[in-house]
Order: sequence, then C-alpha cells, then structure tokens
Amino acid sequence: MNSSLLQMNTILISILIEALPFVLLGVIISGIIQIFVTDEMMARVIPKNKIGAVLLASVIGALFPACECGIVPITRRLMAKGVPLYAAIPFMLTGPIINPVVLFSTFVAFGNDWKIVLYRAGVAFIVSLLVGLILSFQFKTPQTKREVHLRTSPKKMSAKLSEATRHTIDEFFSVGKFLIIGGLIAAGMQTFVKTSTLFSLGQGDVSSNAVMMGLAYVLSLCSSADAFIASSFRSTFTDSAIVSFLVFGPMFDIKNTLMMLSQFKTKFVFTLLAYVFILVLIVSILIVH
Amino acid sequence: MIRILILIGFTFIFMHLHATGDISKYINMKYSWISFCTIFVLWFLTIAELIFYMIGPKKHDDDCSCGCAHNHQESKWKRRAWYPIYILPVLTVLFLPVATLDSNIVEAKGFHFPIYDKKDPYSSHQFLQPDTSSFYGEEAYDQMIHRDLKKFSKEDNINLEDEEFLNTMETIYRYPGEFSGKTISFKGFMYQTKELKKNQYFLFRFGIIHCIADSGVFGMLIEFPDDAAFKNDDWATVTGEVSTMYYQPFKKTIPVLKVTKMKREQTPKDPYVYRNNQ
Repeated sequence: MNSSLLQMNTILISILIEALPFVLLGVIISGIIQIFVTDEMMARVIPKNKIGAVLLASVIGALFPACECGIVPITRRLMAKGVPLYAAIPFMLTGPIINPVVLFSTFVAFGNDWKIVLYRAGVAFIVSLLVGLILSFQFKTPQTKREVHLRTSPKKMSAKLSEATRHTIDEFFSVGKFLIIGGLIAAGMQTFVKTSTLFSLGQGDVSSNAVMMGLAYVLSLCSSADAFIASSFRSTFTDSAIVSFLVFGPMFDIKNTLMMLSQFKTKFVFTLLAYVFILVLIVSILIVH
Repeated sequence: MIRILILIGFTFIFMHLHATGDISKYINMKYSWISFCTIFVLWFLTIAELIFYMIGPKKHDDDCSCGCAHNHQESKWKRRAWYPIYILPVLTVLFLPVATLDSNIVEAKGFHFPIYDKKDPYSSHQFLQPDTSSFYGEEAYDQMIHRDLKKFSKEDNINLEDEEFLNTMETIYRYPGEFSGKTISFKGFMYQTKELKKNQYFLFRFGIIHCIADSGVFGMLIEFPDDAAFKNDDWATVTGEVSTMYYQPFKKTIPVLKVTKMKREQTPKDPYVYRNNQ
C-alpha cells in the first residue's frame, strides 16, 4: 500500500485518539444537561430589556455546555417558550464555544497556553453580542418555521439517568461521523497538500482568515474537538486565522446549517450566516495579533 | 445492534493501543492518561447501549423527550448509511501498519513553518528552529530557555539525548553564539533539498507536542568534509563542531554542524522526540 496513504491513516488515528475523549466528555455533559436542566429555568431568567436580554443570553450560552448540533433544537424550544429571537441566537452562538469542556480542550490542544483560549472566548462573545443587537432591531417576528410541542422529562431519577445515557450515545453517533470525516480531510491535507498551496489560497491578513473560516465550515467539527485540528494548522496559519476558525466553526458549519434550516426560515438562516461570517472576520482581525 | 459493535470496536482499539504500547506512535505519552480513561467511558457506553438494545426500542420516540432533532429528521436508513465511517478507523488500526512520518511529510509540511518570530512576520523559513515559545507562556518559556542555556553552556561536549532534543535545539537556535565551537552529537534522519551542496544535509527529527498531527521537523544543517551519499530518511548519529553560515534560501545565518564523526543507524524504535517538560 502507498506509504503516503498509510501516513494519512496514522495521522487520522492520532487525531481521533486525541479528540475522542473530549467528544465523549462533551456528549456526556450535554446528555446530563439536556435531561436535568429544564428549558423553563432558562426562559424564566431572560429580562424584558433588549440589550440586557442579549447580554444575559450570551452569558447563559457561555455557561451552558452544549455541542453546536445539540444547541439548535434547544434554542428552538426556548423560543417556543417565549424567549425572543435576539436573545435565543446569542445563546446558540456562545453555547458551543464558551464552555468549560471546549475551552479546556482548546487549552490542551494549544500546549497548555491560555492565549488562544482567551482570544477564542473573547471573539465569540463580542460576535454574539453584535449579532444579537443587530437582530433585535431587524427582526420583530420569531423567524421560526413551525411551532414545536413542549416536551416532558421523565420524573424518576433512574429514568432520568437512563435518558441522559441514551442521549449521550445518540449524540456520540450524531457527532462522531463529523469528527472522523473532518479528521480524514485534515489528515489528507497534511499528507498530500503542500502547505505552500494553502498559503497561495490565503496569504493576506483577510484572505487567510477567510480561508480558515471556509475550512471550519466544510470540516464541520464538533467544537470540543476542533481545537486539535486547528492546532495542527498552527504551523501554517496566523493566530488570527486560527481564532477565526475556532470561532466561526462552532457557530456555523455544514451540519448545523442543515439543522437550522429545518427549524428557521431559509432567508433568516442565510442572513445570520452572512452576519456571523462578516463579524467573525472583522473582530478576529481587529483583536487577534 | 451495529451501534454496539461500533462501540465495542472503539473500546477495543483504545485497549489494543494501550496494551501493545502502539499508542506512543500516535500521541505524546504525557497525555496517555486521557485516552486511558476513555477506555472506561467507552465500556460504560457499550454496556448501556447493549442494555438499551435488549429492553427494546426507545420509548421516547413518541413523546419527544430527548431534545435532539436528528432522531426525528434522519430516517433509520439514513443513519445507518453513516455507520461504515465509524468502522473505517477501527479496521485501519487493526489491519494497517502504523506509518512513521518521514521525508514525505517534510516535503508536504516542510517549507513554510511556524511564523512565530514577531519581529519578522513575513519570514517563512523557521522550520529549522524549534521555536516552541508559542506553546508556553512567555515567562515560563524564558525561564526554561535560561535554565537550559546555563546547563549547556558549561559543557564542551553535548550529547543530545532524545529526551532533551527539542529543548537543546531550541536553545542552540536562540543563542547560536553560546554554542559556537562546542562539540555536539545527535541522531536524526537525512533530508536533502536541491539548494544544498553534495556534502550538506539536514538532519531532522519529528517533534511531537501532543499527537503526530501536530508534529513538526526539528534539526540542524550538517556539513561533511567531503561529499557524502545518503538517501532521504537514512538515519545517522553525527558528531561535530557548531558553527554558523549564511543560508541563501532562508536569507539568514543559521547554525551548521561541521561533522567530524558519523555513524549510520537503524531507524530507531521510537523515531520521534517529544516535548515533555513545561
């Protein structure tokens, strides 16, 4: 067998060994949260004031550990319970990025260094605030497709635990395939694409950030694992481009765009995509050096 | 059912890699405890999935309590279409040999390496310098470099063992003047580019920070008194005196080792060097 293919496979496996523990941790916490924290608790605390609501929603999103694929339906259900669009969206945007699991995996992936972690959290927070503020002026209606029925959680503790475990496994299988495909693409690029080619795609400050954001979109990595992929690109791209990858990827990628399209109006999803892309680009260039 | 097999497969490859020690060919062993703990998590999920399978279909399909849209949107068959993706890595771990990174990867990854030099952001030629400063806080990094510098500058003969390879290389590139005239020996694989003369090679090691996906090549230019016939990926231990020279492709003065002694080597059991101290 071709030795390059073997090397590509070896790089893929090493990415999986590194990332899988963090994906598992992510899906377990997500499973527990989704069963034990009720949406009502979240809806109760959202203030009436628009700016306050945007700010608080971003903070709650920051405290709420969920993968970007799990958070779309949660956001949708929060809205069905009366949370306004401009608060729900910042929650959806910060949730997958600013949380202990993702930040810790970023910390480990970047060699026990806080710099990238702080940039990632900071840029994500600023972008989600700005998006929330724009939405609060632009859209007066929820922009959702249809009403969802409210759900009931099981009452008994043992039933809850078993539900959480079920959710964990479901989440693992819904996320795992994107990790493997993403790892495969990343390994292929490391083995077959000369880094000089990557450079020619994005040499300037703006274009290298845009290239990395496009890459984040295509790879569709789980936010608790993408830091490991990003760190392998560190030798090729600037910190600013790496941060734009780490912020844009969890906010928008192939898989959660599909999920959003199933929940929100098409025009709204693409408007949001445009806002997030432009804001991540600008903020990451302005802030990260 | 197939989910159980996939979970067993994943559990098994993690156990297999730890049991055979092959895991060191994929990751820096400093982080092996993380993947070791994963074995137990995977076992738990495997058993849980087995129990769920035995007690029958999910009862929450109708009352929609899991909160995840994928269960309802994806049909059973659509989900199953993805399963081969999960089986692929399990099979390749078990049936394909572990590849070693070599000059192929240097070729692909090699010539535009970390741009960590803040003063010169457009230089793209630092792949020789194991500048790991961005992996550390700056203070801790300075302390480490100074400790190493103190240690090495006292000795006249420095033998770079694998454990201290990255540190020492970094110190040499940072303070080439301090090492000028000292005798150094180290082991690595040969790599030649067309810019080099017949008696010049790069002697490289792959340095691993966490896993081999984040590896980079670290090493030094070496110069033999006469022409030497090595192929890329030939392993050797060389001893020689540190000097510096202007290297045109990099437009920079870089350290060079004037070789006095050379011994060919077999590819070592562990070809990588690891960053293992903070």
